[in-house]
Amino acid sequence: MSADRYLADVELAWCPGCGNFAIRKALAMALDRLDLPPHRVVLVTGIGQAAKIVHYVNVNGFNGLHGRTVAAAAAIKLVRPDLTVIAESGDGDLYGEGGNHLLHNIRRNVDLTVIAHDNRVYGLTKGQASPTAPLRYKTRAQPSGTPVRPLNPLAIAVALDAAFVAQAFSGEIERTADLITQAISHRGFALVNVLHPCPVWNRVQNFMWFKERVYPVEGEGHDPTSREAALRVAFGDGERLPTGVIYRRAGPIYDDLHPVLQGDPLGLRPLRTPEELAPLLAQFV
Amino acid sequence: MDLAVRIAGAAGQGVQSLGEVLARAAFRQGLFVHGELSYHSRIRGGENAFTVRISDRPVLATRDQVEVLVALNAPMYRQYLPLLAPGGWTVADEGISAEGERDLRLPAEGLAKDELALPLAAGTILLGAAARLLGLPREAGEGALAAVFGDKAGPNQRAFALGWERAPDGPWILPGPRFPPGSHALLTGGQAVGLGAIAAGVRFVASYPMTPGTPVMEFLAAHGERYGILVEQAEDEIAAINMALGASYAGARSLVTTSGGGFALMVEGLSLAGMIETPVVIHLGQRPGPATGLPTRTAQENLLFALHAGHGEFPRYLVAPSDPESAFYLTIKAFELAEEFQVPAILLTDQFLVDSFAVVPAPAPSRVPVAEHLLPVEELERLPHYNRFELTESGVSPRARPGVSEKLVLVDSDEHDPYGRITEDLAIRRAMVEKRLRKGRGLRERVAPPEVFPEEVRGKRVLLGWGSTYGAIQEAVGILGKEYAHVHLRELWPLRAEELRRVWDEAAEVILVEGAATGQLATLIAGETGLRPHRLIPRYDGRPFTAHGIAEEVAG
Repeated sequence: MSADRYLADVELAWCPGCGNFAIRKALAMALDRLDLPPHRVVLVTGIGQAAKIVHYVNVNGFNGLHGRTVAAAAAIKLVRPDLTVIAESGDGDLYGEGGNHLLHNIRRNVDLTVIAHDNRVYGLTKGQASPTAPLRYKTRAQPSGTPVRPLNPLAIAVALDAAFVAQAFSGEIERTADLITQAISHRGFALVNVLHPCPVWNRVQNFMWFKERVYPVEGEGHDPTSREAALRVAFGDGERLPTGVIYRRAGPIYDDLHPVLQGDPLGLRPLRTPEELAPLLAQFV
Repeated sequence: MDLAVRIAGAAGQGVQSLGEVLARAAFRQGLFVHGELSYHSRIRGGENAFTVRISDRPVLATRDQVEVLVALNAPMYRQYLPLLAPGGWTVADEGISAEGERDLRLPAEGLAKDELALPLAAGTILLGAAARLLGLPREAGEGALAAVFGDKAGPNQRAFALGWERAPDGPWILPGPRFPPGSHALLTGGQAVGLGAIAAGVRFVASYPMTPGTPVMEFLAAHGERYGILVEQAEDEIAAINMALGASYAGARSLVTTSGGGFALMVEGLSLAGMIETPVVIHLGQRPGPATGLPTRTAQENLLFALHAGHGEFPRYLVAPSDPESAFYLTIKAFELAEEFQVPAILLTDQFLVDSFAVVPAPAPSRVPVAEHLLPVEELERLPHYNRFELTESGVSPRARPGVSEKLVLVDSDEHDPYGRITEDLAIRRAMVEKRLRKGRGLRERVAPPEVFPEEVRGKRVLLGWGSTYGAIQEAVGILGKEYAHVHLRELWPLRAEELRRVWDEAAEVILVEGAATGQLATLIAGETGLRPHRLIPRYDGRPFTAHGIAEEVAG
């Protein structure tokens, strides 16, 4: 078998040079390494250039609303723990429109993998600042440079004690695939923030800009089981961009703590018979 | 025989529990009961009033005037004394002034403190006294206390007995049982919606607490473990509807429960349900708006909102139960139609229906058949190729769960081809719009006609209503006499126009009774038929209609 079995034979509407191509390939490689049958995977996406990935791969798909990606994905996993559920979308979708769902689903700690395409700019709506765009970044919508400080997804995830937090760079396909593989394998909420260039709208943070700044955290002896160390790495030094596993922890997930989720997947259970309702109805007659 | 008792006090004084005990005690005697809760939006203080009607006939509406007022504090006594019926009694602690004609005063607070060491039991002492006045046997009250308080019933039963022993017999004689044990149920509308959802196979509930949607969420949470229902408190209503759609896509029947403000946040998700043709049931418990409005009061202001919510065009099922019995059956129907036609179904209730108790015929879960509408795995396996949005005559495409066969299931919020892939092929776009709308035709055929009572309306003045006003209008017609008739809608969309045209053709006058200021059903019917009610009896002060209130308005 090969990673190609996950790739849909369709025309890709991404721009030449877009980091999304590499992330699509890395995702297919990760699924192949885990040897997950395509029909046992659900990819949930929102809206944006990144979210189109659901149409470019061969797995089950739920392409929902802008920003609501993680909410829909969490529920799919809650009722179908037998399936591998991956939520994938852009920085605007996951960190802007859907920020609230990201926060609360880290708390919810469903066994879910979230892959964020982080190019610090809006692609589909043509170049406005994304939540991760740097201060004073100039766009047509922010012509004098955005006065809003960037959001740090890694620090937020570590602060909320996410089960698994990693950062990858689309220029390193193998490494990205490896981090996605680890994220899927890790039990609990896993965030992989994938830095990637947007050759059309982000001329400042281009491929070379990222390439010069990324560094592997393991090369500097980072201990991803230490939350303190993880926060330090996540805060960064203002210059370099860490890649690798920033933080991981074991511990109970949502399902372990909920009595209703101990039996067969709720989404596969049969309908009830009228007789099953009788004892409850009897309480009211 | 029709008696009403009002228990009024501050929030935190146990008004709701006392009301429920009284309702249950009368129900155990085989009598019909209606219990209406009216409260301020606060946890301590404010005004709480529970009005219990006891009758030898079914009652589904509340009353303003009562025969017995149990006042738990002086302000409530003064506020409600003017609503005491001629010959009525008030029951209160001896510390509260007695300005009426028949004021029973008991040392309830002293007894509760000294004899029971349970100051909160003063209310139960007064309730015991009221029960004696009404002619309710002591055992009925004690049994009801056991049902409501469970393990903690003991001290309350003693308190009830203390009050009962100190009260005189009242002027009323309750009739014998009107129905055999087991034939009827005492239910709130909220409980009935919850029971209906369980009967319909609900497996997943995501909701953000909002009055009056919350009782349904809490009911299902209480029974979730036993019946295998995951109830998750979402971070907001946007998450709730998107979670429900995710769970439904994955194969779990799903419900969200909310009120107007929460539903407003769900609107984009409603449109998604229309686009990805994924069933979901939305329980929308109405309260007065705009915005936060009157959070704990009742209204019927969301009819047009529920009908028109969502951008784009797609079919939906909109149904407004009139009482706990129809709430049970119509909740099942909402789930079934949502599944069969792969559309969102909106269950439109209100605070009055959700919180009020009524005695109704015991629900029979087998009366509305519940069937699996998902494509069986064997059939899915046999298909050479699976298209989630296959173009069909009925517009309904076979819906498969993901992950049960090698066939992939793809849904997309963008316009999509039959497989589910995003498309801008405009011929496919046209075909998909038409396919989705074709489902509305099948849905229309499944809608029941409005209830017309009596069947012959020729020459009569018709009181037209929908949803929870049913009981009050029905009673009002009884008061107004033979010149009047009642036409009631429960299933509001798709709208059955034929019967309405006949009503307009034959009736002398059509008068819309609605818990809103602008006559929303009038707008809906006019849009479909060009017909308009001749008069409107609106109510928008957050209180439910009463039969006398309607009759007075009609008579002018």
